[in-house]
Amino acid sequence: MELRKTRGRTRTALFGTAVLAAGALVLSGCGAGGGGGDASSDELTVLVEGGGHAELQPIADLYKKETGTTVKLVELPYDGLYDRIQTELGSGSVSFDIAALDAIWLSAFADGVAPLDDLFTDDVKSDLFPGLVSEAQVGGKYVGMPIFTNSEILYYRTDLFEDAQNKADFEAKYGYPLAPPTTWDQYRDVAEFFTRDTDGDGTVDLYGTDVKGAVETEWLATVSQAGEEHMVLDPETGEVTIDDADHLAALDFYTSLLPYAPAGAAQLDWAGAQNLFYQGQLAMMRFWGHAYTQTPDDAPVKGKIGAAPMIGGPGGIAGVPGAWYLSVPTAGAKQEAAKKFIAFAYEHNDLSIDTSLGLVARISAFESQDGVAGKENYPAILETLNSPATHARPATPKWQEIVNTVLTPMLQKAVEPGADNAALLKDAKAQIEAIIK
Amino acid sequence: MNGIETRRLSTKVILWILLAAILVLYGFPFVYLLLTSFKTPSDAIAVPPSVLPNVWTLENYVTALAKDGVVPALINSVVTAVLSTLISLVLAVPAAYAVTRYRTPSGRVFVVAALVTRMVPTIAIGAPLVETMRTLGINDTSFALAIAHTTISLPLSIWLMASFFEAVPDELEEAAKVDGASRLGALWRVVLPVVSGGVAVTAIFAFLASWNEFLFALLLTSVRAQTTPIVIANFQTQFGLDWGAMTALAALYSIPVILLTLLLQRHIVAGLTLGAVKG
Repeated sequence: MELRKTRGRTRTALFGTAVLAAGALVLSGCGAGGGGGDASSDELTVLVEGGGHAELQPIADLYKKETGTTVKLVELPYDGLYDRIQTELGSGSVSFDIAALDAIWLSAFADGVAPLDDLFTDDVKSDLFPGLVSEAQVGGKYVGMPIFTNSEILYYRTDLFEDAQNKADFEAKYGYPLAPPTTWDQYRDVAEFFTRDTDGDGTVDLYGTDVKGAVETEWLATVSQAGEEHMVLDPETGEVTIDDADHLAALDFYTSLLPYAPAGAAQLDWAGAQNLFYQGQLAMMRFWGHAYTQTPDDAPVKGKIGAAPMIGGPGGIAGVPGAWYLSVPTAGAKQEAAKKFIAFAYEHNDLSIDTSLGLVARISAFESQDGVAGKENYPAILETLNSPATHARPATPKWQEIVNTVLTPMLQKAVEPGADNAALLKDAKAQIEAIIK
Repeated sequence: MNGIETRRLSTKVILWILLAAILVLYGFPFVYLLLTSFKTPSDAIAVPPSVLPNVWTLENYVTALAKDGVVPALINSVVTAVLSTLISLVLAVPAAYAVTRYRTPSGRVFVVAALVTRMVPTIAIGAPLVETMRTLGINDTSFALAIAHTTISLPLSIWLMASFFEAVPDELEEAAKVDGASRLGALWRVVLPVVSGGVAVTAIFAFLASWNEFLFALLLTSVRAQTTPIVIANFQTQFGLDWGAMTALAALYSIPVILLTLLLQRHIVAGLTLGAVKG
């Protein structure tokens, strides 16, 4: 009796398994995301990161409407996108027609992508920020067309800056009116002024600024503010510049803000800093320009945030361009069609103004929003990116490795108490030389 | 209460405390994820973080489910995991059976060699797999991804099934043969029902290996066969991280495997016990 039951259960299980197998096999042929078959000639596949997806979707929709060509945007996580492109370009066989590349990847992938020189006419170049035009050029050829760009700008709490008592107290203490700072010295003064215990419980609960130790870009912007033209290294000559006077001045200023920032700087990254600001724990924050429109509705600082250009040092106002580029793999089968779409995307760059990121690449698209409510971040981005002191990160295929293994660990040590900045920069130079030799 | 009873009680109490500590250690990250999925966007990123939501909301679930590609990705995950589990079992059961019953030197080498494949970094076989799938014209299909996932689950499945088969006495099969069953008939009618718990355990491990796999899904899928781990990761972009929606989708994605594990709990315990008393 028991044996019969066991056999019965086994048969039922087998039947169920067979049904599952049949169903899975039928479904597996194409996957749930769409129909089967390879991409047809009136279809383009674009690998993008989440931000790029949002920016390109309206352009892809219009392209479909005007040309009949479907542009499939394949969204991948940031790190995953790099791995995927590297794997496919390395294998010499690609599944995509266009890839959206972060600026810092251009050098690493330059050998695997087709030149876009014919798209970079004088008109096009004059409507792009100089930093982006130079960044797009690797080894004498244009390897990507910028589709949108970001830059760090200054965020500040308008409720604190417009408070009459704060204004009076600040002017009395520092001898000049309270306003969004434009220089290193002003930034330090304002940061010091707002670092305080607001509820009288004996603990500081409002800080003037944050200091990010777990990401390197903000310090690189500071290096440009110091007047350095070749941050970290000069790709043309191969000279590593990281231990020169400008880099040291930048690191000294960067770490001089630690008394006015929350503890834990070594672990603070972009997301952490943004959270602190949204929670109302910071009076100011240097952060990417897109965040202006992304304050959560229930954040205590909602509606109380102002945007200004990035601060300046001895060299002037400077940020680091955070651009994304569209590139065509040389192994791609539809290179002409891909270039056609890229030209179209440049032409209709303004369609990205109203996306969730709300970033564009063309100067004219930024300027078109002058005075538009809700786009107060645009003039700040525009001024920062147009500043002569703003420089792109060095074009070296080893950049990501330098960031991960040298720059970030160096910064994390620099924000610890008692750090010897000059010694840290000297060590970093030796490590970078070993990487690029 | 005498000394022996007191000692037993103390041992029990210590064991329960240890058990509770381990449960908290393992369970807390998931509970925190679940609670975060019910927080408002600002609450989700609060510094310092709070365990319980200040305001309970389903907003994150709405956002997560409204994201492009979430529902197809869930379907793809199920199809891929089921298919990969079936392929693993179909290959692992006869392989493990043959190795344990014939006990040849080459069989032992095979089992060890199968395990060695687990030690090869996944990324190392990623590029060749991409090339192979593309040549075969099955790139960006759940079938191709299931095959790739089988390369991960098959070695472990063979080892697990081999340990379960080892625990079944040869006499059981010999009795079936005396009754006229062939070797395959004995495997099918006698051995497999005995090790059904082991099969369930193996199936669960194979299913989970596929369900949670990220790298092959990243390399081998684009639009049609993209699975949920990729979509979850997409909530983190270069310029931001939507914690609320990410935790909501992760919580939803955990439900099927939790249900499956609860459903097969009896078999899993039986299977683990079976494997533990071999010899």
